[in-house]
Amino acid sequence: MAGGVPAVVASGLAKSYGRLWALRQVDLMVAPGSFLLITGPSGAGKSTLLGLVAGLLRPTAGELRVLAGDPGRDPAVRRRVGIVAEQPMLYEELSAAENLRFFARLYGVQAGSGRIALALERVGLLRRADSRVRTLSRGMKQRLAWARAVLHEPRLLLLDEPFSGLDQHGTELLLAQLHALRERGVTCLLATHQPQLVQELADQRLRLLDGRVVCRAGATEKLPIEPGKDRCPPAEALP
Amino acid sequence: MKGWWSCMLAVLERDLRAECRAKERLGPMAFFLASTLLVFCFSLGPSVAGLDGAGAGVLWSSFVLASVLGLNRSFAEERENACLDALLLAPADRGAVFTGKMLANFAALACIQAAALPAFAVLFNLDLGRVWLRLLGVFLLGGAALSAVGTLFAALSSSLRLRETLLPVLLLPVAVPVLIAATDATSVVLTGGQLGDCVSCLAVLAVAWLVFYTLAIMLIDRVLEE
Repeated sequence: MAGGVPAVVASGLAKSYGRLWALRQVDLMVAPGSFLLITGPSGAGKSTLLGLVAGLLRPTAGELRVLAGDPGRDPAVRRRVGIVAEQPMLYEELSAAENLRFFARLYGVQAGSGRIALALERVGLLRRADSRVRTLSRGMKQRLAWARAVLHEPRLLLLDEPFSGLDQHGTELLLAQLHALRERGVTCLLATHQPQLVQELADQRLRLLDGRVVCRAGATEKLPIEPGKDRCPPAEALP
Repeated sequence: MKGWWSCMLAVLERDLRAECRAKERLGPMAFFLASTLLVFCFSLGPSVAGLDGAGAGVLWSSFVLASVLGLNRSFAEERENACLDALLLAPADRGAVFTGKMLANFAALACIQAAALPAFAVLFNLDLGRVWLRLLGVFLLGGAALSAVGTLFAALSSSLRLRETLLPVLLLPVAVPVLIAATDATSVVLTGGQLGDCVSCLAVLAVAWLVFYTLAIMLIDRVLEE
């Protein structure tokens, strides 16, 4: 794990929607450059956790620091965070290149046609640069969402089910990009139902159930399929 | 400041480009406006005399109801595909995002007003040659005030489940001062008066724009989050 100020620090983090607690008492520390794999069944709180780290949601209780700042209030933090969510966050009536150009302007990135073309080429969409997003397949939109998320070269990347809708080719492309980002020291938090795809990348793993951390594991430890049915370090055991 | 302008222009350009392609706002607005003007034409009779001072009311009730259709789409399309989340995640100034949206809504309303004026003149036998420039001034000022308050309430209602129903319910009571001032000023112009004769109405419109725009800039962070 790389040293330095932690990329994400959460203490007693909780989030409720009315009377429903989506996340309860989550303590978390993610070192810069590390890769945290978050698993758990649907409704476990994975997306809520990522939404809080992104600054899209405000915690109901607890403290959260992302890249040494408050993601909800500090634009400098938001500038260094990228996200791939379950929904592509793309404008249907704009072309693939126009979408990237639009987000580049919002992030203050000097995005000439060369940079946009390179971003599209990396996700295999250069030939569809001028196609409107609504004409793209689900997998293509997911790849374009990836290109949007990394266009501003974030230091922290949040990935919520990034493989959903991708075919084998798309999955391989994304995995190759993840490896490259990992080598460049980008911190990743990835929530997925397909942990087997990224097992080798992860150096921390976390399982959520009903909004609580039920299991944590390091890189070499085995994370059980069902909590309690296999060796599972207690949630408090790891930082 | 450069970033603010760049962001505002990016949002404005995006909205206008998407609108030029999909016509999700202008299409329904134009259809509604044409229908309303026709209904009033048949009910009031096709002459200026038949209007009896009601022409300004006909125009502004058409504008405000048509603009509700456009305003509903303004943030609804951002909610689709979670594009609003992407906007909120960007380090862009949210006041700049609001301003870009407001100007796009203003542009849509201005297009509708520009189309309504000749249609209104034909249907009610009005000689536009005398009044069109003065009417344009009133339309621009009234449209700016209506766009400011309308965009704020569109943002506010966009996260609600019944947003399409709730937007007019929330907006229209607040927009009443704007509508009264715009209708009075338009009525003065339609009956041959000069802009100087309705300066108090124009002042109300300018102040309304300033108040609603300032309020929006102050509140937009809260309005858009969660």
